[in-house]
Amino acid sequence: MNAAPSPLTTIRAVARGYAPRIFQGRGWVLAACAVGPVLLVAGGQIIARLQGGDLSSGETLRIFHEMIRMMLPIMALVAAPAGIREDLEQRTLPLLLVRPAPAWALPLGKGLPWFFWGAAWLILSTLGLYTLGGDPSQLPGRIGALVGAWWGELALMTLVGLIFKRGTLWGALYFFLWEPLVRIFPPFLQRLTFTHHIESLTGSRAANVTAPQLLAQEQVTTHPAVAFLALAAFGLLCWALAGWKLHRTPIGLAGSEAEG
Amino acid sequence: MISLDRASLRYGPILGLSPTSFQLPEGGGITGLLGPNGAGKSSLLQLLSGLLPPSGGDVKVFGEAPFRNPAVLSRLGLVPEGDRLPTGLRADRWLRMMGELSGLSGEGLKAAVVRSIATVGMSDRAHLTFARMSKGMRQRIRLAQALLHEPELLILDEPFNGLDPEARLTLMALLRDLAAKGTRILVSSHILGEIAQLTDRILLLFRGRLLAEGTVTEIRQLLDRHPVELRLTGEAQVLARWAVEQPELVALRMEEGAVVMSVRSPREILPRLQKAAAEGGIPLRALDPLDLNLDAVFQYLTKDHA
Repeated sequence: MNAAPSPLTTIRAVARGYAPRIFQGRGWVLAACAVGPVLLVAGGQIIARLQGGDLSSGETLRIFHEMIRMMLPIMALVAAPAGIREDLEQRTLPLLLVRPAPAWALPLGKGLPWFFWGAAWLILSTLGLYTLGGDPSQLPGRIGALVGAWWGELALMTLVGLIFKRGTLWGALYFFLWEPLVRIFPPFLQRLTFTHHIESLTGSRAANVTAPQLLAQEQVTTHPAVAFLALAAFGLLCWALAGWKLHRTPIGLAGSEAEG
Repeated sequence: MISLDRASLRYGPILGLSPTSFQLPEGGGITGLLGPNGAGKSSLLQLLSGLLPPSGGDVKVFGEAPFRNPAVLSRLGLVPEGDRLPTGLRADRWLRMMGELSGLSGEGLKAAVVRSIATVGMSDRAHLTFARMSKGMRQRIRLAQALLHEPELLILDEPFNGLDPEARLTLMALLRDLAAKGTRILVSSHILGEIAQLTDRILLLFRGRLLAEGTVTEIRQLLDRHPVELRLTGEAQVLARWAVEQPELVALRMEEGAVVMSVRSPREILPRLQKAAAEGGIPLRALDPLDLNLDAVFQYLTKDHA
């Protein structure tokens, strides 16, 4: 009889086993989402120069910020269904669950290739921005913000996908209805959004926003290190909860139909 | 090895398996799990393979409850029904991952992957992705993943579905070989002929209930309690006169040039019939037992419980 594999062995085996999936269609959509904003900025600069003008550095960053803030949730909505949720829907999960490996380690193992793939393209995208005139001193903050938020959002979507059958819908509602309300949230609620932590890491916009521009709510900032830790910890918590959910839920041969 | 004590399984309001008790002893051998679609075969296999916990009663495999229990799961292999393999992955690499998840590592892992691929006859095609494999090839890989860690208990859910006749025979030979080497095999099917060819022990399930268990012979003995139809072809009037004198006769039906007798205990009447025909007592040209096979056992038993 073989000894049951450790959680680390399980995570490594699943991550390595499913890594080739990132080079398929979904993986390239993810890459396009990550580099799209910087390509848009580059395109904008080229058009501006053709017309005899130039995009200011501030304008470049503003376009990049707006685009990437929209793209990060889309990336999570694209990648998360290819994680453990996919095994549930394609009924391949029973093949993993009848192994002596710890079931709770499977969601993280399946999610890691997608995290690293997305993170690599986000870093490439951010580096590309700085070749277009960004301030190099802000590079670590921006990379930390994007990678941290990507980690948290992917983990959140994986968890939501295990809890709800229409996880993508609930995720989209969260990202595109709840998150944009950050400007009108009271301070303690602002801290419950990804947007707040991204802005804290990249340099809060609160200082640039005057009271009349707001809907009466005070904008708060969090120390960048704390914001990064908050994103990392939130991601870990979501992966842990996804693992716990999978471990506790009896899932039969019919896959998702047998849940509960 | 396997012990169920009033184990039941519910899917919400639907009863998948009524309280069922049986035991399978240690050691090799093939046990067939027989029943029509919806009989509860898959429910039972899911309980045994630890995918689902019982809604009531106890399930023990190797003396322990199997649900999320690594000590049990490391000793069993499951080949689920259906064409379920992750798309876009290479079979050999996927098998390597499954081996690691079964606790194999290093040279032992490499050897296990090579051995299991060879066992299912896929050595020259294991580098293909699942998308480029035929249904039969994917079925073989599903079997290979269950054999990686050389399980003591192998559970197969409808393994012959979708296989061509040659692949069926190959799989049957492989299962017999594994059983001879000491692996206990539990195989489900709704096709009675397959099970009859394969197994020395049968569990008969119907509508979530265990109707009967035993060897094929024992199951056949149950048949003696039930009427069996025999078609006697020849001069119908003379055959009918002979038939009504037989104490085992339950019913008689006349057909053109034949009579169909419904009799109990065919083992007793058949030698008498053979003797009468040989001595010229009855003008018998042909005898067709209409339902003297495993299908008949199944039909009778299920009819009784319907």
